[in-house]
Amino acid sequence: MARIGVFVCHCGENIGRTVDCAAVAETLAGHPGVAHAEDYKYMCSDPGQALIKRAIIDKRLTGVVVAACSPHMHEKTFRRAASQAGLNPFMCEMANIREHCSWIHEDRDAATAKAIDTARTIVEKVKHNEPLQTIHIPVTKRALVIGGGIAGIQAALDIADGGHEVVLVEKDPSIGGHMAQLSETFPTLDCSQCILTPRMVEAYQHPNIKLMTWSEVEAVDGYIGNFTVTVRKKARSVDADVCNGCGDCLAACPNRRTPSEFDAGLGTRSAIYVPFPQAVPNTPVIDRANCGRFKAIAKGIKKEVCGKCAEACLKGAIDFTQQDELVTEEVGAIVVATGYQLYSIGRAQPEGLTGYGEYGYGEIPDVIDGLQFERLASASGPTAGELRRPSDGKVPQTVVFVHCVGSRDPEKGMAYCSKICCMYNAKHAMLYRHKVHDGRAVLFYMDVRAAGKGYDEFTRRAVEEDGAEYLRGRVSRLYRDGDVIKVVGYDTLAHEPVEIDADMVVLATAIRPQPGIKQLAQTLSVSYDEHGFINEAHPKLRPVETNTAGVYVAGACQAPRDIPDSVAMASAAAAKVLGLFSVAELEREPAVAAVNETTCVGCLTCQRVCPYGAVEAKEIRDRDGNVVRTVASINPGVCQGCGTCQAVCMSKSIELATFTDAEMYSEIEALAFWP
Amino acid sequence: MTEPHDLTTEAPEATTGAPGAAREAAPDRYPETGAPDETGDLHGVARHVLAKGEADVVIGWEEGRRGVRPAFVTTPDDVERLVFDTRCVHNLATYLNPRRRQVAALGRPAVVIKGCDAKAVAGLLREAQLSRDQVVLIGVRCGGVLEVAELDEPADLTPETVSPRCYRCDNREPHLVDYLVGDPQAEPPRPPKTVDERVAELEDAPVAERWHFWVEEFSRCVRCYACREVCPLCICERCVADKSVPQWIDAASHPRGNLSWNLTRALHLAGRCVECGECERACPSGLPLMLLNRKLAQAVRQRFDYVAGDDPEVPAPVGDYRLDDAEEFIR
Repeated sequence: MARIGVFVCHCGENIGRTVDCAAVAETLAGHPGVAHAEDYKYMCSDPGQALIKRAIIDKRLTGVVVAACSPHMHEKTFRRAASQAGLNPFMCEMANIREHCSWIHEDRDAATAKAIDTARTIVEKVKHNEPLQTIHIPVTKRALVIGGGIAGIQAALDIADGGHEVVLVEKDPSIGGHMAQLSETFPTLDCSQCILTPRMVEAYQHPNIKLMTWSEVEAVDGYIGNFTVTVRKKARSVDADVCNGCGDCLAACPNRRTPSEFDAGLGTRSAIYVPFPQAVPNTPVIDRANCGRFKAIAKGIKKEVCGKCAEACLKGAIDFTQQDELVTEEVGAIVVATGYQLYSIGRAQPEGLTGYGEYGYGEIPDVIDGLQFERLASASGPTAGELRRPSDGKVPQTVVFVHCVGSRDPEKGMAYCSKICCMYNAKHAMLYRHKVHDGRAVLFYMDVRAAGKGYDEFTRRAVEEDGAEYLRGRVSRLYRDGDVIKVVGYDTLAHEPVEIDADMVVLATAIRPQPGIKQLAQTLSVSYDEHGFINEAHPKLRPVETNTAGVYVAGACQAPRDIPDSVAMASAAAAKVLGLFSVAELEREPAVAAVNETTCVGCLTCQRVCPYGAVEAKEIRDRDGNVVRTVASINPGVCQGCGTCQAVCMSKSIELATFTDAEMYSEIEALAFWP
Repeated sequence: MTEPHDLTTEAPEATTGAPGAAREAAPDRYPETGAPDETGDLHGVARHVLAKGEADVVIGWEEGRRGVRPAFVTTPDDVERLVFDTRCVHNLATYLNPRRRQVAALGRPAVVIKGCDAKAVAGLLREAQLSRDQVVLIGVRCGGVLEVAELDEPADLTPETVSPRCYRCDNREPHLVDYLVGDPQAEPPRPPKTVDERVAELEDAPVAERWHFWVEEFSRCVRCYACREVCPLCICERCVADKSVPQWIDAASHPRGNLSWNLTRALHLAGRCVECGECERACPSGLPLMLLNRKLAQAVRQRFDYVAGDDPEVPAPVGDYRLDDAEEFIR
């Protein structure tokens, strides 16, 4: 026989103002199976919890119903109290008479009646509750970090410093990401590579970090604490163990005309290449699409072509026969840090985006984007840091910078602010003026958004000390007029059209997630927004977690981020990973689904609908090992308790603990059939 | 009120569940079998299948006391018993349902199937109740069957006698099969009133009238569960109707319990029902169950662009989760 205790909370005035709590307790006291009922001003307070504990012991209660706020608010509190008094915590439930009742009603009588009904349904449910045990899951204390930009490097270093192994996967031949391309960083104007390369080397040499460059994540199976990741190590065509990074092969390569990705297309590289001199690892890669030998093979030419790099290599490290390799890694946590790409400005756009044909990007050589400007300004860039425009190498005397190209433009499909452009435009204007003292830097802006430590001071400095000319307004058209680029725009503060003869135009284009992010997100079962940015689990309270337990996010793949933000996020994600790794076993609420194997017919509809891949087919065998039947089986470690399988199971062979059919049914019956 | 939807007039290839996809690959299967007389002779194929040990039992139709009835032929000498004509309405795919242990006890089956039956086989494959290599499928080309089939002699189909579900059948030459027998058949005649027309007619009526219609109809239900027993896709070991804790469906045959049973049955088959009509044929009270089945098939087609076809690889909309689902909330 059930002996249920009902505890009605006034929540100060929150409930008591609208609901007659004493009447609720009094009515419930007379409900069959209720052995104890009382009301109190604050049940969640220490004396309130003491009331519950004392009643559990004195009245030998088998179940507890706390009629108060939402389970989200205090279920843990009351279950802990019940457990301290010796009751199984899952025999304690909450009836929500605050959010669902007192806060939304005014009529005291009606609200009281509703509170009684609500409490009664939960009493009926608790009669059917089963004592449950917390689920324990083992944790593989090894992490995967996807993306070797500054965020990925930071996350990997933090986790590795915490004493755990990290697999750092980078799709390019070197780690470093976009930060390695930058010349100087705002707001301090310190050299980007000078602060980044030590961290790259640290990551490379860290005993706990396994670096996999020129590699991509292919598949992810498993669940928090127990992921199995398949990584494709793309064929490098160079034996990394033998290569000593001397660079003789690069010098020997006859192809010198391949546009350099690192120089954003402004410089060239050989077909066998390291992206930049400080690359980590300093092992070249043969770009098979541009290598004469591989192009000949692709065309079906039998004769061996070229091979000059192999001839030049004294170590014999070049291996033309290398194939892609699939490597499996067992990890317990995953950090996604795949970063961003710049919106490509031309007319042709993927995914239904429209371009800015009127800006002439790709047609006028001296219209460039922000990353290209970084390369022009960088000492390691194609012009060795001299500001010369791409078309004729002339030092530009007037440079126009255009803010918000694509960003904050719903018409182009990107209503969001790309966040970093205001700052780097100011930086670009300063760098330009530092190098070309008599030059003009004109910036067309919508607003200057310089929120951040030292950021506003920085943009002020660009105006006040470095003479940047800010014009509030948009540019409507760019076109070539002889040697100059005509910039046609409108100054909205002066209310007049402006036309500027520029030698070079720099477009601050929107930040977009990396191509392939959606596919990766689907592989990881994490959600993403309409642009492909990874969704965090909660925008305020869980900013580096995703909706999949054990998968974390850092840097610009979640939203446009600058370096300090990316690094902070990476360290936060690393802290989450280290927190996960600090326990021997994970504890999980036992609100998971289980299959009744006696009645399951193994139609596996549950397997097809499970969003988490928690369902597998299980063969039931007799003593001789013959398969008798195949049924569905749910992995409690993966199950998130969503109940989709329970809903689609036609034979009602799946029950979700804490939400069983019997429990739900008794709640409905209590509502429908009680007088 | 919605337009009557003829599921077969609009191009079925456009839909995910349409049989079109399977059709491309299927014909290759026939020549590979090396059957003695693969185009014409049911007896020849059945004899071959049993003699070569491809199957232990051939499930087909034979002459019975009143019309034809299902037959289970286990020796090659017995294959002359098998017949196929317009009276062969029974969906023999129902014997492949793993619930039928007495059939399973006969050994590895070969089953003679019409196009509608092939869709039921696809349903069983789709829901992992059968694996394709456990069964030999002998397809018969079909030109429609009779509505009332308990006749001593095969009869020609007329608009009045043809089963209404055969009208505009899109699978008269079953796919998915190992052998295909019989001559190409003419299209079945149009019945005086198609199922779609009857559904539309009922939909035109006011709600109260429709409600009254179904209350009347369901009040005649005796809860014998013949509809469930005959259905090739009612695969549950324990039907929800037999579950007592909690009791989802009132067991007694009063209108409320009857309503929940009949609606549950129809909804459990939404997107799965192949409209073979066996439930309606088996019903001793003559409930118009095909109206419900058809209405749900229309709804599934409208909402999900899906028709239960004979490709076992295309999952039904209920029972499918996709990461690229257009519904944002589901991710």
